[in-house]
Amino acid sequence: MRGPKHLHPSDNERNDARRNDARSDDARLLVGLADGSDAVLAELYKRYFPMVLHLILNNSGSEDDAKDIYQEALIVLYEKVSEGSLELHCQLKTYLYSVSRRLWLKQLSKRSRNGSGLIDQENLADVDDDLTDHHARDRQFSLMADSLDRLGEPCRTLLEDFYIRHLSMQDITDKFGYTNTDNAKTQKYKCLMRLKRLFFSVYKEER
Amino acid sequence: MDEQKFTDWIDKWLRDELTETERLEFETLRRSDPILDQRARDQQQLARAMRLYGQRTDFRKRLNRIHAELDMEAVRQEAQEASAPAEEPARKGRVRQLWQTYRPILAVAASVAVFTTFGTLMLMRQYQSSHKQQEQYSMLRRDLQAIRRSQNAILQDLNARERALQMNPGQVAGSSFLLSPDGYLVTNTHIVQDADSVYIQSTKGDIYKAKVVYTNKAYDLAILQVRDDSSFRARTALPYGFEAGPSDLGERVFTLGFPRDEVVYGEGYLSSQTGYRGDSTAYQVAISVNPGNSGGPLLDEKGNVIGIISGKQTSTEGATFAIKTDVLFRTISGIPTDSLKGSPIRMSRKNGLAKLPRKEQIKKIQESVFMVKVFKQEK
Repeated sequence: MRGPKHLHPSDNERNDARRNDARSDDARLLVGLADGSDAVLAELYKRYFPMVLHLILNNSGSEDDAKDIYQEALIVLYEKVSEGSLELHCQLKTYLYSVSRRLWLKQLSKRSRNGSGLIDQENLADVDDDLTDHHARDRQFSLMADSLDRLGEPCRTLLEDFYIRHLSMQDITDKFGYTNTDNAKTQKYKCLMRLKRLFFSVYKEER
Repeated sequence: MDEQKFTDWIDKWLRDELTETERLEFETLRRSDPILDQRARDQQQLARAMRLYGQRTDFRKRLNRIHAELDMEAVRQEAQEASAPAEEPARKGRVRQLWQTYRPILAVAASVAVFTTFGTLMLMRQYQSSHKQQEQYSMLRRDLQAIRRSQNAILQDLNARERALQMNPGQVAGSSFLLSPDGYLVTNTHIVQDADSVYIQSTKGDIYKAKVVYTNKAYDLAILQVRDDSSFRARTALPYGFEAGPSDLGERVFTLGFPRDEVVYGEGYLSSQTGYRGDSTAYQVAISVNPGNSGGPLLDEKGNVIGIISGKQTSTEGATFAIKTDVLFRTISGIPTDSLKGSPIRMSRKNGLAKLPRKEQIKKIQESVFMVKVFKQEK
């Protein structure tokens, strides 16, 4: 991971100042993203979408493709940030561009076996590790989505309330109209055991 | 502790809601029982996957909301002028122009080169493989037909059980060892598959009838139980413990097994973290084993069980494979409770062998290692 900044220590001061500005701005956006601020997310979204749209449109993609690719790149960024494992060695712009580019390349090679290169600039960051992580999480995500679908109601809502929305057992008892929390707990236990079987029956085989 | 209550505890632990004393008790429980520990880790992973699921679904909704509010005309306009991130001004020099012009030709040349290279490699591979012995994973069970004669030699023995065996000599033999003091054993599936009946024989020569409680063909593990045999005395505790964590390369290891009618000791070291063809559920061990060693315990210096001997590679010298203990725990936690008839397998991490010299260790361990004899219908 080399930022050009380190390669050219003799760059003139004006450029340095501009970069520092960009960096502190990146930091502000990342903090906002981690805090879950809608305003910051909207700002980030609007700022770099045209860049990705340009890339995709120039490489035989549609506007919808651009939307999907850009959103996936943002998901990569968001999940790294909320995990606290993002190591940014370049500008945020470069990072998002590199991730989008890789995702689009993969998409293209999936559509046709014609592995031609992309017409774009060559200023890229090394995002291999981040994408490998993303791929693993992706698999876990679709497996969980599939398991939850197969689980059915009311189990699905019950488990989502407890594990995702972090409701207390008392809230759940009231919401689902169980007579007491013990009943709710038993129900949650049964649901969890079913989900565990669904999820791990595929997950462990794949490992 | 019943399963539901433990599940509740794990949930509280994941939400950080346990009181200090509860937390200590919870941790002690996990340390002392590898199966509960495995269950806690599974549940933690499940909860994490659910959280990721929720987080991502929610984030996607937010993204879509923002996207819906975009002024697409303005964005398109901007995209026209947009450039890639330029931390340095982009140069479009002569080399680049040449590249763009000759790219199709280069692409054809490159694909011809790639094709030739791989074609040659494939032909080479084919040639080699037809001339080389196929490497094989051989399962270390022992065919007893060959030694029927030696069994006939002890016909004078008037023990009724022994005589029954004489009339119908076992066809396959392997090793196994106790999982819990009350008569649960583990061995390999490939030893007990298609069995009509299974007997285990201790190092002293006592024979007990065993029942296959559970088999997992994917991991090649089978759980046996000595059932309805009053002559089997449950022990108070096992000499060895079970180590769930991964062991390091170079760890000195040893095993006991039954390649002959007598128990045989073997010694070696851990040579790889993965088994046959990169199988991550097994270790590779440099230890000499023979047919009949399958199902025997693999122990580390301190006398902790770290694996179960399962097979070896015939084409390579000294490549033996042993299934890792965490796979064993996973298998055990996957046994439906009704196949255990209400008596759960109690495994322990306590180990009373750590400070003993090897000879003493072996003396203690060999009482918990059994030969497995399998009888099946002639086909």
